[in-house]
Amino acid sequence: MSASNCLTANAWICGEYLRTRREELIDATLQHVAITGTAVVLAVLLAFPLALLARRYRRLTGTVLTLTTVVYTIPTLAMYALLLPVFGISAAVVVCGLVLYSLTILVRNMLAGLDGVPEDVREAARGMGFGPGRLLFRVELPLALPALMAGVRIATVSAVSLTTVGAIVGNGGLGNLIYSGMDSLFKAQVLTASVLCVVLAVVADVLLLGVQRALTPWVRARDGRGGRRRGGATDPGDGGDAPDGGDGAVTPGGGGGPDPLAKPANDDRPIAAGAPGARQEAGQ
Amino acid sequence: MDTQTVKSARTTLRRAPLATAATALTLALALTACGGESLEESGSGSDTDTGSDSTDTDGGDSLVIGSADFTEATITAELYAQILADAGFDTEVQTVRGRELYAPALESGEINIVPEYLATTAEYFNRDENGPDAEPVASSDPEATREALIELVEPRGLTVLDYGDAVNQNAFAVSEQFAEEHGLETLTDLGESGLAVRLAAGEDCVERPFCQPGLERVYDIDITEVDPKGVGTAQTKQSIQNRTNELALVTTTDGTLADFGLVLLEDDQNLQQADNILPVLNTETAENQEVVDILNELTSTLTTDDLVELNRQVDAERVRAVDAAREYLVDKGLIDG
Repeated sequence: MSASNCLTANAWICGEYLRTRREELIDATLQHVAITGTAVVLAVLLAFPLALLARRYRRLTGTVLTLTTVVYTIPTLAMYALLLPVFGISAAVVVCGLVLYSLTILVRNMLAGLDGVPEDVREAARGMGFGPGRLLFRVELPLALPALMAGVRIATVSAVSLTTVGAIVGNGGLGNLIYSGMDSLFKAQVLTASVLCVVLAVVADVLLLGVQRALTPWVRARDGRGGRRRGGATDPGDGGDAPDGGDGAVTPGGGGGPDPLAKPANDDRPIAAGAPGARQEAGQ
Repeated sequence: MDTQTVKSARTTLRRAPLATAATALTLALALTACGGESLEESGSGSDTDTGSDSTDTDGGDSLVIGSADFTEATITAELYAQILADAGFDTEVQTVRGRELYAPALESGEINIVPEYLATTAEYFNRDENGPDAEPVASSDPEATREALIELVEPRGLTVLDYGDAVNQNAFAVSEQFAEEHGLETLTDLGESGLAVRLAAGEDCVERPFCQPGLERVYDIDITEVDPKGVGTAQTKQSIQNRTNELALVTTTDGTLADFGLVLLEDDQNLQQADNILPVLNTETAENQEVVDILNELTSTLTTDDLVELNRQVDAERVRAVDAAREYLVDKGLIDG
């Protein structure tokens, strides 16, 4: 356990740190992935029925969007503090907070995606004898997928960053290391954990983009004609077969660091990734 | 289609309150659902040793040691966890942001044992019990402070064990150069020098009787400004180094004072409270003779100098708290290597 130079010298980049804390870093990363992953999966499962509900009963649309947006404006620190009495000191506090944040983005994008399905496509499907269930799962959902996946990508990247704040209850994944490193001025730990956090966000985003492409081969086929579609770029939404983007969808930025997400304006308009006023909670 | 839209828009206006209520209900249900599911999922997914489910079932073998997230707290928590683990208990350290988070968990039994600071924790429970303006119960007398603490926490189901020699008190530091220039060794010297100083300390310093008011009352020190950089944080210590401030509130067990070129001024008129380190237990889930004996042995072994050294290892040499604690316990013969 001889202290190596770059550790005692408190260097920003320190190979010895990586070597001696490898286990710690792996544990923190796994916890981070587990918390983020659980939260996003749960959020998707919850957002879907909410979006369908909001679409089925149009008078609910505004209220659903407003309420999820209001939830989104609760500061992360306060959110975890409010959930603490419910769950006690556990990962559930962080997961639940992240689920609530993700709902804003997901419900909005699912609605936008479903709304973007051209009416004549629906008519055609009905004409072919599709019932409501088949219409939803065989026609509307595949067509809404690009917008939906855009939401999932933003929600995921955002969750990766907000998970760090969970360090206040000891369940912040890499955030645990960032916070304790900041308190004791441990530069290598702060930098390494932060970089891992960014890497996680980028990897998750790229993976989801891959999933999206695999699920929507027709988009690529179409775009093949007019130049390749770049990751994160909003499709113009030509009213054709794939209404990705469209009006009111949230589209992801270029992958993003820990805080790539802009706060929504308090109306039904889209959240623009990378716009001014990005959420800046984690440093509190 | 168009008429339908108009109609539904009208309906929206008319039924807005109803719709709001319905959506609120849906969201509330969603929240509940998210809670239930996420509890299960996170239990299996993120970390299997969250412990909250294992603590209530058998009070004997599984113990959660609570800790705040600063260096010394994590070290003492590791000391407790490892010495108890050596005796066959299944221990786990739960680190959270601060006392306001772990104290309620200690009362509920979610956390079983916390290494505490006598006077600070007594004041925490005093304020919690009697309001923010409560008359202080802590003093520089550890025995009296412990009595006061016991009185406060016993009804809450907590047990206070004995305190030892290890003390982490608040202390005031100046730069070596400043001390030399003005011939300062004690806080009395500083008061008599008549120097006006800026003080880097916690936000609450202006009202804490043992910080600014005490320095002015007991030592007659002229404080022009309190700079809220935190107690003993790197920022506080740096602010002395770069001459933003002259006086810094730090702790007696800080292992990095010399690295920042700081020296402590002696608290020669006993302004500071008795912040001896001692274990506080959740009576129902953790109080048994074996635990008490083990922790008492550790408490009587641990000294302030030991803490300084452990803090230095972790903060300066970047030894992991868990390794520093293990080495210390082995070194003192408290556990088998």
